[in-house]
Amino acid sequence: MIFNKKGYLHFMFKRTLLILLFLLLSMPMLAHGDLTIRIAEKTIEISEDPNNFELYYQRGLLYQQHMEFDYALEDYLKSQFLGNTNKALHYQIAEVHFLTAAYTEALQSIEWYLELDSKDLSAKKLQAQILFQLQSHKKSLEGYRYVIHNMKDIRPEDVLEYCNIILAENNKNYKGALEAVEYGLDQLGPHTISLQLKKLDYLKDSGQTEKVLEQYNYFILEYNRNEFWYYKKAKYLTEINRPHEAFISLKLASVAIEQLNAKFKNMSPVIELKEQIKSLESSINNQKS
Amino acid sequence: MIKKSTFLLAALCSVVSIAQTYNVDLPNVSAVAVTNPVGLPQHSASVTVVRGPYLQSGTPTSVVVKWRTDIPTQSVVHYGKTLKSLSKKASNSALTTEHEVALSGLFPDTKYYFNVGNKSEVLSKSDSGEMYIITPPTAGTKQFVRAWILGDAGTANNNQREVRDAYYDYVEDAPQNKGKTDMMLFLGDNAYGSGTDEQYQNALFDIYDDMLKKSVAWSCLGNHDGKSADSATQSGPYYDIFTFPTNAQAGGTASGTEAYYSFDYANIHFIILDSHHTSRAVGGAMYNWTKADIQNTKQDWIVTLFHHPIYTKGSHDSDTEDRLIEMRQNFMPMMEANGVDLILNGHSHSYERSFFLNGHYGFAHTFNPDEISEGGHTVGENGHGDGKVDSNGAYQKTSAAAEGAVYITTGSAGKISGGDLNHQAMSVSLNQLGSCVMEVEDDGRGGQNLTVKFIRENDDIEDYFTINKSGIALKADSTASGLISGGLIYDANKGEVKLKVDKNDRLKKVNIYNNIGELVKKSRKESINVGKLPKGLYIIEVITKNKGYTESITIE
Ligand SMILES: [Fe+2]
Repeated sequence: MIFNKKGYLHFMFKRTLLILLFLLLSMPMLAHGDLTIRIAEKTIEISEDPNNFELYYQRGLLYQQHMEFDYALEDYLKSQFLGNTNKALHYQIAEVHFLTAAYTEALQSIEWYLELDSKDLSAKKLQAQILFQLQSHKKSLEGYRYVIHNMKDIRPEDVLEYCNIILAENNKNYKGALEAVEYGLDQLGPHTISLQLKKLDYLKDSGQTEKVLEQYNYFILEYNRNEFWYYKKAKYLTEINRPHEAFISLKLASVAIEQLNAKFKNMSPVIELKEQIKSLESSINNQKS
Repeated sequence: MIKKSTFLLAALCSVVSIAQTYNVDLPNVSAVAVTNPVGLPQHSASVTVVRGPYLQSGTPTSVVVKWRTDIPTQSVVHYGKTLKSLSKKASNSALTTEHEVALSGLFPDTKYYFNVGNKSEVLSKSDSGEMYIITPPTAGTKQFVRAWILGDAGTANNNQREVRDAYYDYVEDAPQNKGKTDMMLFLGDNAYGSGTDEQYQNALFDIYDDMLKKSVAWSCLGNHDGKSADSATQSGPYYDIFTFPTNAQAGGTASGTEAYYSFDYANIHFIILDSHHTSRAVGGAMYNWTKADIQNTKQDWIVTLFHHPIYTKGSHDSDTEDRLIEMRQNFMPMMEANGVDLILNGHSHSYERSFFLNGHYGFAHTFNPDEISEGGHTVGENGHGDGKVDSNGAYQKTSAAAEGAVYITTGSAGKISGGDLNHQAMSVSLNQLGSCVMEVEDDGRGGQNLTVKFIRENDDIEDYFTINKSGIALKADSTASGLISGGLIYDANKGEVKLKVDKNDRLKKVNIYNNIGELVKKSRKESINVGKLPKGLYIIEVITKNKGYTESITIE
């Protein structure tokens, strides 16, 4: 048999890779199946082309997905060291710093990014989030306001975060927070539930009693099933010392439950609700007498 | 140790293939599908449909038709109840390649044929009538429903095609409702490796082209879709391709986002969650929406779908991965308590199907099948059985017990990836290619059966089970008319409430409150006219010399 040099080299190469992979997989990071394998594959690519900054960047992304932020950062920095000047890299570095609560470093990186692309909304948003963590509430709010009003497809989560920043900047500014909620409802649809729920919270927190009751009525009227809302309204009415109205609302809650199909009546949240109604009713009665 | 070695093996295999050939399993980058306008001379077909048409966001009265053309043109949909007369038209005169036309004012449970084109010509049609919309019935209706469930399908290779063809064979020969697929449910990772537009073309549109023209497709976001889509901005191919109801247009509660949403089909409520990008925290926006939504449905069945599996020991592990654990610990207690019946997940490329479960939120090894009491891990006497009507019997969900759900991890519609496949909560774990079909039908005894079958790529039905729900026909009666209690009679015809007061008692006053607790009528008489009050629920508070009590009436 003729000795095939090329075949031998190929064999050696393969063997080295296998050993390398074996070592890699012996490390305790075997959580995410697919991802682990892809990281290992990327590691092999890097071993073949160790000065390729793109490969480090790609493996960094995989590490980040795998929530191994330290490794991710190491790869990003290596990629930068090897000459990667893409703005995306700055963004990732900022994001990893942000995720590991290294906010000062995160701010530095995102500002580099924004020097290259000052209008990028994702980056602006991340910057606002970093500033928020650094207690720069005013600047954070300014940035987030820009994002909220310029982003094409905002989500309820964005509006809620924005509201949060508004109140962090001034904990009495419920007017501003409620306006932001209204803006969100306007953009996302008037019945967006997470925003309507937040509106309720803010009305309560700012003591706007009549508006709170209106908001409860909104839920009662808007909903298919309203037993929970009747009860919550009753509870609020007792808190603001309007026991008779609370009493009527509890009656409505009980009737709403009675009208449910047996299946729903037998669900634990409804059974629990019945108990809560009973106990609130008796505490109202005690108050009365 | 076993787990580790499995990974090692899998990893080694993939490396060997790279080292040997550097040949990754690339999707077939076929040319985009071209739909030639039938009957028109070729030279006039200057515009070509290169994607679709496909159906989105179906409701009992509306549907969205989408398609793509190679050059910008207007959007026109012709539709009608008979193939020969597509007399209705919905259109948009703006020039675009990405066409999206909403048809509204449709009748529920009705078949409409359609074609698409521009102002001057029809660009895509089916002379044999294979392009149609069948609208869902009005929500709450009990009727046969069939859903085709595809998890992690998007490989664009022959595995995916074989799985598809096996389902097509099944539905063509189905014992009932032959050829009818009411919806497609995609469980995410619909297009590998990263859900780009081109990958979607290869793995979704080119593969399911026929079905997408006659069945509405719904989806949740998978991690591979998530690579190119951004839920934070609802942008990227996934969000461009799909159009989902953000404002409860198809039933349910408004989420304000396409990342998670719900819809009704017949008497089934579907809840679609984003287990990938969106916060899975209790009290987060998605959690709050889910709770509000599930506590607001009166539907007989509740089905939820999201990508990351609650239980799996396949190519992913529900004991170690954060998204899986968070969905299980944060969402499932609330969803089980509120009556979810079926949970559909993908991500692991296998088929793993649970027993009839409730309250199992721990690791696989903590699963205890003997615990069948309330809050236990399996529900009912045969909850630990196979759920097969012809074996251990269907899982039972009576109206007295809201608990009990089956969890399916079915992510092998495009490839299989092995794993230990030994999760204790699973009745069946298979490393096989296939997709699932869910069928809901009457059981002939006033209840319904929800049956799911796993159809392998070779046409074999490798697993099936049934959840039986009794008493679905029985609706709670509302207090319409007649004697409400000893103290009150409501005569709906006369619009009159009559109070019965004891001889030795004396009526002092009557207050009537509407459904938001407002006082709408006061009286001191024993006979009260309520005929002019608007429809709705009322509380009547009666105060006599000796006592006070309340009654309720519903004016219809
Ligand atoms: Fe996945």
